[in-house]
Amino acid sequence: MGHNVPPDLLFFPSEGVFISTKGRHMTITAVEKADNRPTLLRREKIERVLAYGLLVAAAIWLLWNAIGAPVQFANVTLGGIRTGAIYALVALGYTLVYGIIELINFAHGDLFMLGSVFSALILVNFFGAGTGSPKDWALMILTLIIVMAMCAGMNVAAEFIGYRRLRRAPKLAPLITAVGISFIFQWLGIVLNGSAPKSWPKVIPNGGIHFGDVILDYSTIVVIAVTLPLLGLMTYLVQQTRQGKAMRATAQDQDAARLMGINVNRTISFTFGLGGAMAGAAGLLYLETFGTTRYDAGFQLGLMAFTAAVLGGIGNLKGAVVGGFIIGVIQAWNDGLPHGLGQQWSQSVVFTILILLMVFKPEGLYGKPTVEKV
Amino acid sequence: MATSTPDTLEKGSKGDVTSSHNRRWALGFLIAAIITYLFYAFVVPNLGAAGKTFVSTWIPAVATNEALVWVICAVGLNIVVGYAGLLDLGFVAFWAIGGYTAGWIMSTFIQAVNPGFYLASAAYPDQPGIHLNWWLVLIIAACLCAFAGVLIGAPTLRLKSDYLALVTLAFGEIIPQVFLNADKFTNGARGIAPLDNVSPLPFGPSAISIGDVKIPISQPLGPFDTSAKFLLFAIVAAFAIFVSLRIREGRLGRAWLAIREDELAASMMGVPLMRTKLAAYAVGAFMGGMGGVVYAIHTNSVFPDRFTFSISILLLAMIVLGGMGNVWGVMIGALGLAWFNSTGLPQFGFWFNGQFGTAINFPSYSFLILGAILVLMMLFRREGLFPETRTRQILREAERSDAEELDGGEA
Amino acid sequence: MSTDVVTEVMPLTASNITVRFGGLVAVKDVSFTVPPASIVSLIGPNGAGKTTFFNVLTGLYRPTTGSVALNGKDITGQTPHKIASLGLGRTFQNIRLFGLMTAAENVMVGMHSHTTSNIVQIVARTRHQRREEVESREFAQEMLDFVGIGRHSEEYARNLSYGDQRRLEVARALALRPKVLLLDEPTAGMNPQESAVFVDFVRRVRDEQGVSILLIEHDMSVVMRASERITVLDQGEKIAEGGPDDIRNNPRVVEAYLGRTGTEGSAR
Repeated sequence: MGHNVPPDLLFFPSEGVFISTKGRHMTITAVEKADNRPTLLRREKIERVLAYGLLVAAAIWLLWNAIGAPVQFANVTLGGIRTGAIYALVALGYTLVYGIIELINFAHGDLFMLGSVFSALILVNFFGAGTGSPKDWALMILTLIIVMAMCAGMNVAAEFIGYRRLRRAPKLAPLITAVGISFIFQWLGIVLNGSAPKSWPKVIPNGGIHFGDVILDYSTIVVIAVTLPLLGLMTYLVQQTRQGKAMRATAQDQDAARLMGINVNRTISFTFGLGGAMAGAAGLLYLETFGTTRYDAGFQLGLMAFTAAVLGGIGNLKGAVVGGFIIGVIQAWNDGLPHGLGQQWSQSVVFTILILLMVFKPEGLYGKPTVEKV
Repeated sequence: MATSTPDTLEKGSKGDVTSSHNRRWALGFLIAAIITYLFYAFVVPNLGAAGKTFVSTWIPAVATNEALVWVICAVGLNIVVGYAGLLDLGFVAFWAIGGYTAGWIMSTFIQAVNPGFYLASAAYPDQPGIHLNWWLVLIIAACLCAFAGVLIGAPTLRLKSDYLALVTLAFGEIIPQVFLNADKFTNGARGIAPLDNVSPLPFGPSAISIGDVKIPISQPLGPFDTSAKFLLFAIVAAFAIFVSLRIREGRLGRAWLAIREDELAASMMGVPLMRTKLAAYAVGAFMGGMGGVVYAIHTNSVFPDRFTFSISILLLAMIVLGGMGNVWGVMIGALGLAWFNSTGLPQFGFWFNGQFGTAINFPSYSFLILGAILVLMMLFRREGLFPETRTRQILREAERSDAEELDGGEA
Repeated sequence: MSTDVVTEVMPLTASNITVRFGGLVAVKDVSFTVPPASIVSLIGPNGAGKTTFFNVLTGLYRPTTGSVALNGKDITGQTPHKIASLGLGRTFQNIRLFGLMTAAENVMVGMHSHTTSNIVQIVARTRHQRREEVESREFAQEMLDFVGIGRHSEEYARNLSYGDQRRLEVARALALRPKVLLLDEPTAGMNPQESAVFVDFVRRVRDEQGVSILLIEHDMSVVMRASERITVLDQGEKIAEGGPDDIRNNPRVVEAYLGRTGTEGSAR
């Protein structure tokens, strides 16, 4: 395959942005874009008007809520940021894997679910941690590390067993494999957790710091305190280290990376490991926030996180984080605000956002549309 | 159903091969359907107690009927996934739409219509609600689903295949949730039940008697008339198979294949991508809608919590197992997995637990087994158990090693 | 501009095409015509904008400014399938056949836009649909015979030899009944003898099918032998145009292009 990259792809993606230029696997192929071309100009205009109309409507709705119930608004938003941090961690796993081998890893949400189940089993059943004592905190951090390692290992194993052999196969094959692995993970979840949700004691005490009527939950503080350093570490790994450079090169062009002496298989394994570790961390934080585990948690949360990754521009690390927070907050607003639709609609709302995004801005907030070469 | 064979095919060796191949299978389908019907209608009632227990344990008539629902839907999904190569993970949405359509226009649910509106329906008169003949319902629901397929497809089919999978998945989640939450229109979690009784034909004698056996014609079928319903379902399944076989042969089928092979080249050869993909979506959804109606009739009810993601995945597994693109393979995959899921696994569990005094929850293994089927098939037998002739060769090819990749690139 | 000068309708006219990607100008104000029943070539060193220009013609890119007309009809910004059905056939540099379809089926895909059966007609297999199928099959066979691979019509495209695949691509493109046939490096991977045969073949396609042929080619011997007119692009601009001899002796071309054939050859 020749590598005469179209000129618009010549700019080397910076800031950990992965955009691959491999033959047929483009983010949005030119044909797909071009297929609607005759009316493109008019269509673009209509789309833009519609999109802005939707945004304005959302802003008005938000204002209505915020003025009507400011305290509730603040509390709900804080809760949304907490969920958003968890989404961000999971979304990173989607984005990392997509960035490097252009696979939507359907099993990633379930890996997160396993992370939460592992956390509960290790922290509560094995270590016997209670609530709030310094020892409990230490055990929680230890568990965090163990679970991150376990999830990283599982993700690497899944890649090794499943996706590696299918790297050159038609696109459908690794996708279906990912769906299969997702089901196997869910089965593991049932085996370890039972088919009913389970409640667990939390290390983080309930309650929080009061600012008037606005409460900053302890769990929110912990979630943020864990997430931010992880994100920092991750950024450092991808941008500053040799391994990170190898990742970016592999994402650009596997064959060329191989010619440059990069161990492509190891780099891809590393990427899966990194994503898995983030999912493991998210699992523990989820457990510590909600105190429950359930085998089907990964499916819903995974989809939410994927939406976050798409919102940010899939393949873009910064985008995944920003998208995670946005989706978390939007979901919280829908669930908790006085004029929200309520929890029973939260999935529908987020997925509608996903679909609207796909229609209006498939490249997301930070992504770049790419073009297939002939 | 014998008439469902492509009767006149054009000259050309390949066409003849395909047609005789299909004719054999169609004949097999017809014979199997008749034997199954006779078995349940006439043999089983005359079996001894042990025989009856065996049948109701291992091959209950209900499971057989349900398997046909899966066949209809799997054949529909096969058009999207197998023919056009678009991964659809939300097929359950059409199943749900079809089911609710039946719930709306084939029951007493719409109380506002009072006195009830009847059209060639076998339901008991003097009830409120809309009561159409189920064949009409079948057509209406299928068309509605085809339309819904176009609506869903229009904004999303521009996307790359893996994005498409996710968006369809999202639709598959939203639509049942809407049915669950829109209490006023769908009765929420309480669902719609019962539906009207259906009759094979809207007119004619109520039943034909052959000796001491009666074959129902226009008499309404009760919830337990499974063998008569089997015949109806088999006809719908045969129709679905017939349509997908025929559509494959023509210019649309070729365009789907071309898109599956190479989208860009196809568009450069004058194949309109959007329109062709939408057609695949619409035809698939059409069959999904029929499946939804048939399922609603089968269970005599519609409940929102039945329409779960695992249905979409089970359908996908059926296609993957049977052989993507090969209608007959998909049919066998659907029958096999449907039986396994509804009867085989739980009954095996009963037997195993009883035999060895264990308390293993075997149905929970369905996740493992489904997942393993998908993964193992993709790794070792991507073409499925009954591959399509054309995929048979490519998918068997040895994977290229890294060194070869270095030499040849991807080209 | 060029359209004003030319009185007769040209099969393909590109006027003042400019393509800009962000700050980068890939094609700059290029005008270009393909006269009826001619063989013309587009050459230029790597990165000269040939592929971009090609993509504008086939509808993959929309030009920033300028317009493309096919047989006098403006096709700027139309979709690729629309342009194809209006009469612009093409082949691909790295063969893109439908590998799991037979040779005949490949050609029949090319006829998609000339057939009209809808879903219902296909399922019901109406008289119209059957006639269309028979005609398609016959025409496909005719095209395959024409390019010389008629005996392979029932073979899967991926099983054909390299040369036959190239021919099948031409047959498939001809099924569009194009006014203009674009050949994207058709002799890539061929040895000199095969290239020579292919040049004769291209001539025959032009003569017997009555199409104009636009060639993008690296092999200078092929270009010089096959084409009646050559357009040279360099860094997105048209630097020369004329017959083979003019081009051979044009100092700008020699400087821009021929001087760099060494790097050119090793680049791919």
